[in-house]
Amino acid sequence: MVSPLARFSVTVDDGHLSELDSVASALRDSGMEVERVLGTLGVITGQAPADARPSLLAVPGVTSVDEQLRVQLPPPDASVQ
Amino acid sequence: MIDPPTAARPPRVPGAQTTGRQVVVFADAADEPVDWSAAGISDVADSRDFASGRVPAQAMRDAGATVFARLGIAVVAAGPDQVAALRGARRPVLSVSPELVHHVLPEDPSAYVRGYRDGVADLAARLAGAPVPGEEPPLPPPFEDTAAATWGIQAVQATTSPFTGQGIRVAVLDTGLDLQHPDFAGRTVTAESFVTGVDSAQDGHGHGTHCTGTACGPRVPPAGPRYGVASDAEVFVGKVLSDEGSGDDGGILAGIDWAVANGCAVISMSLGADVAEAHPPYSAAGRRALEQGSLIVAAAGNNADRENGEFGFVGAPANSVEILAVGALDPRLTTAWFSARSLPVPGGEVDVAAPGVDVLSTWPMPDRYNTISGTSMATPHVAGLAALWAEATGRRGFELWATLTQAGRRLTEPSVDVGSGLVLAPQEGAGTVSGRSRRA
Repeated sequence: MVSPLARFSVTVDDGHLSELDSVASALRDSGMEVERVLGTLGVITGQAPADARPSLLAVPGVTSVDEQLRVQLPPPDASVQ
Repeated sequence: MIDPPTAARPPRVPGAQTTGRQVVVFADAADEPVDWSAAGISDVADSRDFASGRVPAQAMRDAGATVFARLGIAVVAAGPDQVAALRGARRPVLSVSPELVHHVLPEDPSAYVRGYRDGVADLAARLAGAPVPGEEPPLPPPFEDTAAATWGIQAVQATTSPFTGQGIRVAVLDTGLDLQHPDFAGRTVTAESFVTGVDSAQDGHGHGTHCTGTACGPRVPPAGPRYGVASDAEVFVGKVLSDEGSGDDGGILAGIDWAVANGCAVISMSLGADVAEAHPPYSAAGRRALEQGSLIVAAAGNNADRENGEFGFVGAPANSVEILAVGALDPRLTTAWFSARSLPVPGGEVDVAAPGVDVLSTWPMPDRYNTISGTSMATPHVAGLAALWAEATGRRGFELWATLTQAGRRLTEPSVDVGSGLVLAPQEGAGTVSGRSRRA
């Protein structure tokens, strides 16, 4: 059975900031579909099967793998926004 | 009302003891020598002449002048008649003040007894239903929108600030901006969309246009009162939320990355998710943004319902240690009923507060303006104020953060709700030593 895709943010440690691209390719090898490599922040975002989290976390240089949060504003006519 | 910063300094407590010596503050801490003989002073002890830079107490007592080179301060054995000569010294003198005698604050053995008495009196008064003396001072009149400026712009003293955010880049990450809005005609606006499948940063919601107006709206709008703080800031509009008002980390983090890469000193994020734990990617982003000179300010959240006893909590991303969380105030400078309270964990604090109730600002045409409430509306006030302070002081990153909290007007509201209080705009002379000493 295939695990459904989830959206992840992967945080890279200080020691690997200069090697973000190789961290990203290791994440791809671990099943992540990389969407963005954010060079100034050291964060890589994309999608992966929900059960791939442990293997993403095992990639050298990765300090945290978190499912993306979703933000939802109230509708434009709400008095409190 | 808030007193203008030019208000008379508070009177010195009568009876403060002085030593007869004078404390001289030089305009800079440079190595320029001082011609002490012009003031008839000899025997100068300079901290640089002593091992480890420490002037021994005996040497200090004997010297005509003791110079603390690193501080640009000297203590001088001079009478008031010599003060004029000191002021005329070749090196610019900022101030000459009598040296005060300081004492260990006295212990008061009766304090406990008085505290007990007050406690009993308070309990008795409460049981009797009488107002507790001193508990409820008369409320000051609320701020009001005028023809010249919104209540919020008045409350943060942007109206009297000589600073405009000139030369400072401010990013607003939200639903975008009405790029044709007449109030932004002629302004430098760099806009980018980070919403998947959306190419333009045009705002089809309104929230982003409102927040951008509060942070960066014009000094003299073509119609209506002033509502914007940093009128000359360079505006970076990152659309990270769709026209339906939704977005996820991927687009928001991409917007932060873009703003930092573009050297935005301030990043305003009136968005959040109601989760009580700090979200690691935002903590990393906040820290790395600060290290690169970008301060992220974020809305504390609207998940309180104070009239029904619900105080809410600071959500993500505002609950990251590295991100400044902003609560909302009403025109009486009391906490807005919806404004979230601090979480009891590091980073979960409300750091500062700003106007967030009945806030008028820009709205997509043809409406042009709209008046709404939220910590979303408080946040861009702080972002604009941060731009003014960045311009006034040259400070960035965590130094800028510290400046904002230091410059906050303390409120009588609980600190769990308003942090360091209402952020204020820098006034004339802010950011320089001479300006500080005038205000001190």
